[in-house]
Amino acid sequence: MTVAAGIGYALIALGPSLSLFVAVISKKPFLILTVLSSTLLWLISLIVLSGIWRAFLPLKSTTWWPFALLIISSVGFQEGLRVLFWKVYKRLEDTLDAFADRVGKPRLFLTDKMQIALAGGLGHGVAHAVFFCLSLLTPAFGPATFYVDRCPQMPFFLISAIIALAFVTIHTFSMVIAFNGYAEGNTTDQYFVPVVHLVAGMVTLVNFASGGCVVGIPLLYILASLILLHCGKMVWRRLTAS
Amino acid sequence: MESSILDSIGSEIIGVMTPVSLCMLLVVLLVYSLSPSEQSLSGASDPFRTAANLVYLERPDDSSTQKLEGAVLNALVFVILIAIVTFLLVLLYYYNFTNFLKNYVRFSAFFVLVDFAHAEVLLCSWLGTMGGSIFLSIIQQFSIPVDAFTCFVLLFNFTIVGVLSLFSGGIPILLRQAYMVCMGIIMAAWFTKLPEWTTWALLLALALYDLFAVLAPGGPLKLLVELASSRDEELPALVYEARPTVSENERNRRSGLRFLLGGVSDSGSVELQVVSRDNADGRENHGNPEYSAVNVGTFGNEMHERSSDEVERLPLVGHLRDGFSSSGSSSDRSTSVNRENEIVMEEEMSPLVDMSLLGNNRQRASDSLENSLITDRGIRLGLGDFIFYSVLVGRAAMYDLMTVYACYLAIISGLGCTLILLSVCRRALPALPISITLGVLFYFLTRLLMEPFVVGTTTNLLMF
Repeated sequence: MTVAAGIGYALIALGPSLSLFVAVISKKPFLILTVLSSTLLWLISLIVLSGIWRAFLPLKSTTWWPFALLIISSVGFQEGLRVLFWKVYKRLEDTLDAFADRVGKPRLFLTDKMQIALAGGLGHGVAHAVFFCLSLLTPAFGPATFYVDRCPQMPFFLISAIIALAFVTIHTFSMVIAFNGYAEGNTTDQYFVPVVHLVAGMVTLVNFASGGCVVGIPLLYILASLILLHCGKMVWRRLTAS
Repeated sequence: MESSILDSIGSEIIGVMTPVSLCMLLVVLLVYSLSPSEQSLSGASDPFRTAANLVYLERPDDSSTQKLEGAVLNALVFVILIAIVTFLLVLLYYYNFTNFLKNYVRFSAFFVLVDFAHAEVLLCSWLGTMGGSIFLSIIQQFSIPVDAFTCFVLLFNFTIVGVLSLFSGGIPILLRQAYMVCMGIIMAAWFTKLPEWTTWALLLALALYDLFAVLAPGGPLKLLVELASSRDEELPALVYEARPTVSENERNRRSGLRFLLGGVSDSGSVELQVVSRDNADGRENHGNPEYSAVNVGTFGNEMHERSSDEVERLPLVGHLRDGFSSSGSSSDRSTSVNRENEIVMEEEMSPLVDMSLLGNNRQRASDSLENSLITDRGIRLGLGDFIFYSVLVGRAAMYDLMTVYACYLAIISGLGCTLILLSVCRRALPALPISITLGVLFYFLTRLLMEPFVVGTTTNLLMF
């Protein structure tokens, strides 16, 4: 039973990304490589951040503002990294196009570009879920569970799985939006993504209040669906336009 | 709609990474499922002495310096042992004791497979005290009811098929790959039983040794490879000859990945190389009409490549992609047998080296066409790489899942770097150093820096 629970938590957090991976990514080796490298990039960013914050840890869990600082710095760093990722990707795209010309194949289609962006986002999202949720899940396979004081409604593992799912969604699709925004030079999209990311991070601060997760998680899901909706509309617009 | 280039690029890399990932995953699962029982048993079990900890037996209550010294000594002794064995092999090979070598490798592979089979039999007849065996632990852990006779028959079959599939032709390639991964897992699971400090020292020492053995002039593995290629022979070892998985279905385009167990199975000799191999027999075996057709196709392709090479030089990664994806693109053109793909690949990779000689390109092109027709190539990854990657990940699995993911990513990216280097250098390269260094680095970074950070934020239900 406990093994079932553990697998269940893992699937809540990563199930959608798993199906996305199987359906879209796994058929194209290049996309798998993109996912891997983007995951690695995210891991490196996390390590750098934790290296910076290591000196101040552990933070007192009574005051909330150090955590706010932590989130702001982290989101800022990661958004900077996204710009870097975009630059690398841009170069890669040129290389691929040049190569396609040489072997006499068509250049990258619009869908190809979007798939690469999706793979990059999925890498970020999966890394997030893996490190923030899955890696803490080991005790969930054992014979007990764990509740945190601030949110007695659900087991801790379930909460973290649910939050991780929201963040996986946000990370995955915000990469598509961001890449498209950069490609089109659309400033709204370029700012939309960091803002949503920051707001999502800030919303988790609501969990700091006792019983706050009842409010925080729905808010988070509203943000996630906002991203999904925006991404869907944008892709639809691009596809119908071309 | 014409297929985009995205479909084929990178399939070679994935072809190598998939079995490595599989091997690591299985080792991690093994470690996870077995460690509780081992912990409960380990109160009784003494540290056991093997070739890898001859000098020093680690005990939990030793001081850190003691542990460090002991671990370094252990690693040193083990590496020296390996070096001696490998030199011995090279000597034997040099004096043409090839048959002896082949039989020896056969025997050792048999031994590895039988090793747990043996313990298995013992278990089944309730004589078993060999706590080291894998199956034994699995059966114990999950209390699977098996009787001795069934167990014996199953294991006998498993072993025989394994040895046959590793050494004789006519066995499906998938089976061979499976057995190769199996052997990697068995060896890795065995190595994960080493104490912690010794494992780390051993891994680093092996990475260094690997660097030396493959790259340094006079390094044993380098000698072995050169000797083998100068004689146009197979490497005198448990060569995993992955005849390309037949590409009748076009999904299966990856050309064969080969595992190469250079040396002996337990020497952990490792290398990653693009091997040119004499393919004369393949040439004869092939239908001639088909072959000439390919001739024309690849020749045209070559010319096209050449002319465009003059115009632009892509960055190195671009070249790598050329090599890889061209194997895919050419299989669109001629979907006969994958060997052709490899030929084309060789051809398009070869310009990397002599790109400066573009002047007489027609002459060169036909030259390299000649050359490439009699050789084929694929990526070979030593079984030792499988083993020690998995050892690293398995060791990480004993700490936490987080370190497992970090190490996995580090190793895979190291492997990717090595593959890219491979396409640049086009010679045998050691696959351990980059990956192991990155893996160890990430392990300690994760353990020391990231873990408190992540646990601290997550238990407060904060994420970003």
